[in-house]
Amino acid sequence: MLRLDLFRTTAFRWAMTAAAAFTGLSIILFAFVYWQTAHYERAQLDDMLRHEAKAIADDPGAAVAALKAWLRDDVHSVRYGILATHDGVAQAGNMPSLPKDLWPDAKPQYATTEAQDADGDERGERIRAIGLNLPDGRTLALGNDTDALEHVSVVIIRALGLGLGPMVALSLLGGALLGRRALGRVTVLSEAIAAIREGRLSERLPLTGRRDEFDRLATDINAMMDEIERLLDEVRSVGDSIAHDLRTPLTRARTRLERSRNAVTSPAEFAAAIDETLGWLDQTFAVITAVLRIGEIEHGRRRAAFQSVDLGQILVEAAELYDPIAEDREITVRVGVDQASGAIAMGDRDLLFEAVANLLDNAIKFTPRGGHVMLSLVERDGSAVVTVADDGPGIAEDDRTRVLKRFYRAERSRQREGVGLGLSLVAAIATLHGFRLTIGDNHPGCRIELVCPGSTVAVRKGGPITSDLVSQGAI
Amino acid sequence: MPKLLLIEDDDITAAEIASDLRWRGFGVEIAADGIEGLKQAREGSWDVIVIDRMLPGCDGLTVLKTLRGEDNKVPALILSAMGHVDERVRGLRAGGDDYLSKPFSLVELAARVEALLRRPAASRETLLRVGPLELDLITSTATRGQRSLDLLQREFKLLEYLMRREGQVVTPAMLFEEVWNYNFMPRTNLIHVHMGRLRRKLDGPDETPLIETVRGIGYMLHAPA
Repeated sequence: MLRLDLFRTTAFRWAMTAAAAFTGLSIILFAFVYWQTAHYERAQLDDMLRHEAKAIADDPGAAVAALKAWLRDDVHSVRYGILATHDGVAQAGNMPSLPKDLWPDAKPQYATTEAQDADGDERGERIRAIGLNLPDGRTLALGNDTDALEHVSVVIIRALGLGLGPMVALSLLGGALLGRRALGRVTVLSEAIAAIREGRLSERLPLTGRRDEFDRLATDINAMMDEIERLLDEVRSVGDSIAHDLRTPLTRARTRLERSRNAVTSPAEFAAAIDETLGWLDQTFAVITAVLRIGEIEHGRRRAAFQSVDLGQILVEAAELYDPIAEDREITVRVGVDQASGAIAMGDRDLLFEAVANLLDNAIKFTPRGGHVMLSLVERDGSAVVTVADDGPGIAEDDRTRVLKRFYRAERSRQREGVGLGLSLVAAIATLHGFRLTIGDNHPGCRIELVCPGSTVAVRKGGPITSDLVSQGAI
Repeated sequence: MPKLLLIEDDDITAAEIASDLRWRGFGVEIAADGIEGLKQAREGSWDVIVIDRMLPGCDGLTVLKTLRGEDNKVPALILSAMGHVDERVRGLRAGGDDYLSKPFSLVELAARVEALLRRPAASRETLLRVGPLELDLITSTATRGQRSLDLLQREFKLLEYLMRREGQVVTPAMLFEEVWNYNFMPRTNLIHVHMGRLRRKLDGPDETPLIETVRGIGYMLHAPA
């Protein structure tokens, strides 16, 4: 099975592909070398034949002797020659007759000898030969066997074989080694992934430090696992948080109903118990509704309903909505928006109002009696910036990023009334709109900014314009 | 007695709604699925239809679209577990006249049904009178008896809404949607605080309070007896 896997590895396949490509290239290269070498050898031979034939033909009287001398000098028995009369009778030479396929045009060519071997059998040998007619009517033919040429091809094919064999073998071996190495890394990664799949979410894929493709992949997967683990932790804490938020009013409702069943004596007492229970049930529904809303907003399904929204108007209306509560708590709400101008953002009017109202609600909730809340809209770097600042206790620096996470509630806020998902909701709304939500220090107090890039700003420059638009009743 | 058709598949919810509405003086018939609901809506003569959004057999919006396609103009209130803006818009476009998301209080449902029934009476009058209260929409002035009331713009709208529904319970959600025109449920006591402010302006030291708080439900404006 492992062997089968090995042959299936990419490394092995690549090694095989490379080997095949090298084999093909080598064959082409050797063929070229053979072609060039053979051409050179043949040209040498042809030159020699042409030269010798010309020398003999130049002196017809001494032709027989010259031919004999040429054949005599042939220590390797590679030469063939014949001088034939016009009727084809051999006068001299080691061939019984003129090769039938030799054309006497004084050009070197391939021909077949009519030579006899030692056994007397007629045997045609392929030779390189030249034939020419002498002025006296005789025909001269000189030839040389082609063993040397054939030898070249044998040598080259042998060289090719000797070179290619080990190369293919080495390729196979290298491919197998690389494949095994890759398979080894993959096996290690698979085992780590299997461990994660079995529920050990804190496991990570091992890195070799070589920064190769496996390391890069493992780094990416590890980063993904970090994110998944974070989200799962968040979901877990969301579950705990929601369970807590639901359990409290449900427990109150249950105990109140149970006690009322036994202890209540008058219809009025019953009505009071029921009213109280209804209030707690409403609280649980509010939690569920908020959770569903955040989910829906985070899925971004509402983008379809985006339209031009006047942020300044939203600020003024939100401040107006909360004014009576601020008045009750003796908190001054100031709005820094020039009514004549404003910032237009593309968004969902209801959601943006909800976001601002939530921020304002928080600010008023946490500002002590007699404190101040400032709501402003300014332009900064071409973006409208909505700021809600208060002089309450502020949010601890450690809590500032956590508080924006889904469903996180600072312990302190649990003591207060309300659903407590306000900031998570604001964060979800901001994300949906592509706005940036930041929490800072107001020295003292909390300063929350909603930076709205892409909004058209017509706010008068030079900082916020403060006006008591809606705090007529404020003390 | 106004006749009401309730199309709701959950029989416990349907029974609760029906008995509450009967107690309030409605004649209520129940249909348990969309097909049956459509059949009954066509056959009977109804003053108002309350229809669940998700129904077995035939979806609530389809029932409404079919009825509206047949030129049936009975006021309809859609009940739904999906309360978000786009869902409401879809519901209203399908032919609903109002939309109430679950969970809801029975009083809220009754108040909205009553509002639907009275809709034709919501006249275009520009001078509203309830007992000693007088509201002139043209001059934007409000008086109680001889005393002129100094109302903020929003308080004026709030009072107008209450006066147009004299003797009728209105819930904070209805007020927020109609007076503030935002589809968002703020802290429940916000409306209460606004109402307190309005009350202080309406009622002089020795005058009978005009706005009654219906405990845990909403408000009702009525002329002193």
